[in-house]
Amino acid sequence: MRLTRSLTALLLLVITVGCNKDPQPARKELTIAAISGVEGEALKQAAVDYETQTGVHITVTEFPYANLFEKELIDLNARTGAYDLIMLDDPWFPTFATKQLLTELTPLLQKRGQNGPDTDFIDASIAVCRHPYQSGSLYALPYVGNSQLFFYRKDLFEKHSLKAPATWEDVLTAAKTIQEKESGSGMYGYVMRAAQGNAAVADFMPIFWAFGGEMFDASGKPTVNTPEGIAALEFMVQMGKYSPPGYASFNADEVGAHLLQGTAAMSINWPAWIGKFDDPSKSKVIGKIEFTTLPGARKPGQAEIGNWLIAIPRTSRNAETAMDFLVWATTAEQMRRSALRGNPPTRKSLFRDPELVAKYPAYPAQMRSLETSRPRPRTPQWNEIENAFGIFLSKANSGALTPAEAMNQANAELEKIVQRGQ
Amino acid sequence: MPNSRRLSNAASRRHLLLPYVLVAPAVAVLLALSIYPLIYSITVSLQVGDAWSIGNFTRLASDNFFLTAMAHTFVFAVAALSCEFLLGLGLALLLNSQIRGRGFFRATLLVPMMLPPVVAAIVWRLLLNPNFGAINGTLKEIGINTEALTWTASPSLAMMSVIAVDVWQWTPFVFLVLLAGLQAIPQEPYEAALIDGSSRWQTFWHVTLPLLKPAILIVLLLRTMDLLRVFDQIFILTEGGPGFATETISLYIYRSAFRFFDFGYAAAMSFVLLALTNVISVVYIRLLRNESRA
Repeated sequence: MRLTRSLTALLLLVITVGCNKDPQPARKELTIAAISGVEGEALKQAAVDYETQTGVHITVTEFPYANLFEKELIDLNARTGAYDLIMLDDPWFPTFATKQLLTELTPLLQKRGQNGPDTDFIDASIAVCRHPYQSGSLYALPYVGNSQLFFYRKDLFEKHSLKAPATWEDVLTAAKTIQEKESGSGMYGYVMRAAQGNAAVADFMPIFWAFGGEMFDASGKPTVNTPEGIAALEFMVQMGKYSPPGYASFNADEVGAHLLQGTAAMSINWPAWIGKFDDPSKSKVIGKIEFTTLPGARKPGQAEIGNWLIAIPRTSRNAETAMDFLVWATTAEQMRRSALRGNPPTRKSLFRDPELVAKYPAYPAQMRSLETSRPRPRTPQWNEIENAFGIFLSKANSGALTPAEAMNQANAELEKIVQRGQ
Repeated sequence: MPNSRRLSNAASRRHLLLPYVLVAPAVAVLLALSIYPLIYSITVSLQVGDAWSIGNFTRLASDNFFLTAMAHTFVFAVAALSCEFLLGLGLALLLNSQIRGRGFFRATLLVPMMLPPVVAAIVWRLLLNPNFGAINGTLKEIGINTEALTWTASPSLAMMSVIAVDVWQWTPFVFLVLLAGLQAIPQEPYEAALIDGSSRWQTFWHVTLPLLKPAILIVLLLRTMDLLRVFDQIFILTEGGPGFATETISLYIYRSAFRFFDFGYAAAMSFVLLALTNVISVVYIRLLRNESRA
């Protein structure tokens, strides 16, 4: 009897000790879930500066891209309140907003005497922070202003007197010419990534949109297998002929490697790569690459937006302190420091800042690209849709399916997914 | 002496209680870490949205991705298992005989197995890279056209590549178990066979193989279970691609749970995989038991 009793007592003790949260009065502390890499790095530095200024201790927990989404979603869903701020890739935002896991920011801004987000932010960047898109309430602020750019080798374009790629037809002509005339040096006209999932979809969407494709109609029905959509995929596969073999499994790294090695003449890519082309230890193409906005076809070219946002989970116990840090970290002054570390800003004033433009000559193109960019379809099921769509894009590019077959099958799968979401 | 009896009663009761107390921690850990999650995942698999339903299980039948991933899993498991078994058995027989440098070979053969699968997969991904990888680089040096050899990127080669990497990494394990089995076989049956004048093939077929059967079944059972749940190598080598060409069931389960956040469906798929693994294991174990009775 005594044994059982003492065992029970021990168990209770373990439980109480385990549950007892910090008995002292709460000191001001913030915990941030951030992406590991240059974007999170800048935030980490900002956290250190903020702490010296205000005394608020900030813990930055970093996760690689592949894990960040699941860590955040599981944590917010379980309402553990572990994070006061989270970094979000903008396509994830609808999932979090639809599940009502984020704090609405406008009331917190109003408490600070602001009516809404600073008008200096690029409109397209603020639009992805609202739920529903563009028109709804504000649940995040944009921290890193990525959007796709078109990279091309201006030295080769000049050498073969090609005109700057303004349309996808120009791109095809240039790819053909360069590959034919430079074939001796192992040069490919174009390089893309068509690995299933995010990669293939990211490299396809600008072509798809320019050809007049739309993933969903106004009622939300999938429409990827329209003649425009199929034509766009046919075009992508045709560009594949000028892309290095195996591109159907390429991710960003392989594309970057080909550009750095000087074995590919053009690609769609993200601004994060720009700095690497000037690094003599990695790059064989210093000063040879030009950056511009995405080519058009039937419609003007539009880039995919890929901003990093920062939001405050609803479960945060320090929402006001978190807001203070968030506003501070996204001020022009702080964002400028992040920009100097290589992160594109989300503020117009910084894209026009003479010192930054001198350091990053692509800024005018980046700003034009970001301002005219388009988000991936705003749906909480985006991960599943992107996965399914990417599989069929990759299949068409690896030759397992014809473009028409791929788009028809993709449409059928997307219908199933959308139906399940209703 | 009522007093002393009570005392001895209490003592014996304590004696009876002692075993329970001793196993209690183990039971508690098991309950917390295995039983509770198991029950929880059963309830999750039986819910769609917030309602009770068997929808997750009926959805399996019409999910092309699930069916294809299942088929890939079996192709992968059968092909890898056959190669690993034949190679492992050959190596074990070879290194069981008195050949020169046998110790050296035995030791070096085990190296792949000692690498964490993730590390092995990353190394192979670099080796297999069609443009910068060492394999195509070497082939090019000796004058072979590598244009079409896009190992992990071509739908027809990708499955072969992931199988080859698994064979590379896990044949040593099969070899090790079979070698141990071979060394446990006593000399007498061989001497008897020699006296009876049986050929080497007959000796192998009628003496070695039957006596090695328990080891064979164990290694097949372990490898089958491992192969059916393969995840890390494929995730790193191809992430299931190109397209869907190497997507196995564990990758699809992972995606459903952590990318699409559909835990119910992921749990339902896991239970199907569990059931299949169990059926296969039971078959092996039956065979093994018959063997030990015979």
